[in-house]
Amino acid sequence: MSATVTAPAGGNEPAPAPAKRSRVRNVTFPRILRSEWIKLWTLRSTWWTLGSTVVIMAGFALMMAVVVQFLNDQMADVEMAAEDQASMDAVLGAPTVIAGGYEFAALVVGVLGAMVITGEYSTGMIRSTFAANPGRLGAYTAKATVLAGVTAVLTSVSLLLGWLVSYPILNANDMTLDWSDGEALRKLYGVVIYTVLVALFALGIGTLLRHTAGAIFTVVAVFLVIPFIFQIVVAFASSLDWVLTVNKFLPSVAGSAITPSGAQVPEVLDPWVGIGVLGAYTAVVLIAGAVRLKAQDA
Amino acid sequence: MIEAEGLTKRYGAKTAVDGVSFTVQPGKVTGFLGPNGAGKSTTMRMIVGLDRPTAGRVTVNGKPYAAHRSPLAEVGALLDAKAVHTGRSARNHLLAMAATHGIPTSRVDEVIDLTGLHAVASKRVGGFSLGMGQRLGIATALLGDPRTLILDEPVNGLDPEGVLWVRNIAKYLASEGRTVFLSSHLMSEVALTADHVIVIGRGRILADAPVQEIVDGAERKLVRVRSPQATELAELLTVNGAEVDGVEPGLLEVRGSTAVAVGELAAASRIVLHELTPVASTLEEAYMSLTADAVEYRSEDITATDLEGNKA
Repeated sequence: MSATVTAPAGGNEPAPAPAKRSRVRNVTFPRILRSEWIKLWTLRSTWWTLGSTVVIMAGFALMMAVVVQFLNDQMADVEMAAEDQASMDAVLGAPTVIAGGYEFAALVVGVLGAMVITGEYSTGMIRSTFAANPGRLGAYTAKATVLAGVTAVLTSVSLLLGWLVSYPILNANDMTLDWSDGEALRKLYGVVIYTVLVALFALGIGTLLRHTAGAIFTVVAVFLVIPFIFQIVVAFASSLDWVLTVNKFLPSVAGSAITPSGAQVPEVLDPWVGIGVLGAYTAVVLIAGAVRLKAQDA
Repeated sequence: MIEAEGLTKRYGAKTAVDGVSFTVQPGKVTGFLGPNGAGKSTTMRMIVGLDRPTAGRVTVNGKPYAAHRSPLAEVGALLDAKAVHTGRSARNHLLAMAATHGIPTSRVDEVIDLTGLHAVASKRVGGFSLGMGQRLGIATALLGDPRTLILDEPVNGLDPEGVLWVRNIAKYLASEGRTVFLSSHLMSEVALTADHVIVIGRGRILADAPVQEIVDGAERKLVRVRSPQATELAELLTVNGAEVDGVEPGLLEVRGSTAVAVGELAAASRIVLHELTPVASTLEEAYMSLTADAVEYRSEDITATDLEGNKA
């Protein structure tokens, strides 16, 4: 007879102690990581969200390139002062074109980050997850790691694709990405860091709220609605110091200081300080999520 | 082996589980019986660390559940609601669970075959019937080949063939020396499957004994007699020391006597009998009398006048 349960039979056999179970090993972090990896890729919603992220980013890059072409056609006869040309390059350079759709992509990735955990709470899967990892924090950390890794790779691939599809137009306008320009490159990998932080922020919110709609609403409010409202407020009340101060410390505004859109905001933090501020918000939300995850009944 | 000591769970002012202590022994099936809302599920959730006890402690195979390094090899748990993501296929769910313990794919396919899920293994769980969901829950519980099984209402939603299968597998696992702890609100189910029963009502343990002992303890044998001369027979039996209830005209329930004695007495007095039935008490009756005061949600007796009143 095999050492494991293979078939129910009559109950007349003697009662031996269960044999050594050689096929079951201890729970380790790499194994939890593998489990979370399987979980992520075996849901259709993952393919939908990640697929639309790639499409949005590549599509926006192409669209922005077309806009650049259009502007250049319009301005062809206009003599521009060198100073104006420089400021225009800063706002609408190659990184802006290539990463054109990153704010939308970040929102989609945020939805994925929230659903990674709220999907488990709403279906009851979380109980299976915690039964396999009763320490709970291992599963949480593994979810965060897989989410961050996948988001980073996906955003990088999307940027590469954006570079590719916009290349013909940018090349024709002599605007291609200068791979030796440190600041231009920073804006691009800044986008990668930004989307990763948004995804993790959403994971933390999802863990705190345990509810898909509530978590997605909160993420959209923090990264889209509130900054949009502030954009209007800043436009009308830019003389008020506190408005500008609050604005630059908003998670989305602070975080985007490192991205190509950093240059478009009137007053903005230093790129690395800004992304550090978003990182701090994310850490706070993730830790608060961990506390609730650990302390509360599942 | 499961050992609970003063296990308590309070939700605000409501006490769901009230200082229960019990031991579930390996090598037999232990039924966990109680009306709905008695605290069965809460107790089981505390055993596997999903709910934190307000007081007391519970260990599985000598350690708190969370202290085990490969928990799925210690305890396989099927908890009441579906604990599976509805968007994932059954096989992928099992593969993800298996990955945490380095369990090979061959074992995943083994439990799929064992639970009869082969035909639906690649379908998404969202479309599963309650019965298939239960089978997947049992497959998940068996995945780590655990020494202890905790099954909360395992036959819920299963067809008769599935019910029989659960009974057999529970008995088989116990015969291998494993600990099997199985909850139900159905007395008949526990009577058929379990060797030992723990009865819980309103968060307290009401009984903890072998199934047979509980039946015997609540034994109140009675004899049902149907006779056209019921009144005459009742007087005669009462004189002879039996306790007689008139259930309806012509039908008596006799306590403190036997079918043999009643029959002989009737024959001696030339009383005609139409029916003479000894009625043994069942586990069901024992259960009802044990939990009579401990039912959380009681249905009101509906009388004919109530129905008439509603109609008017």
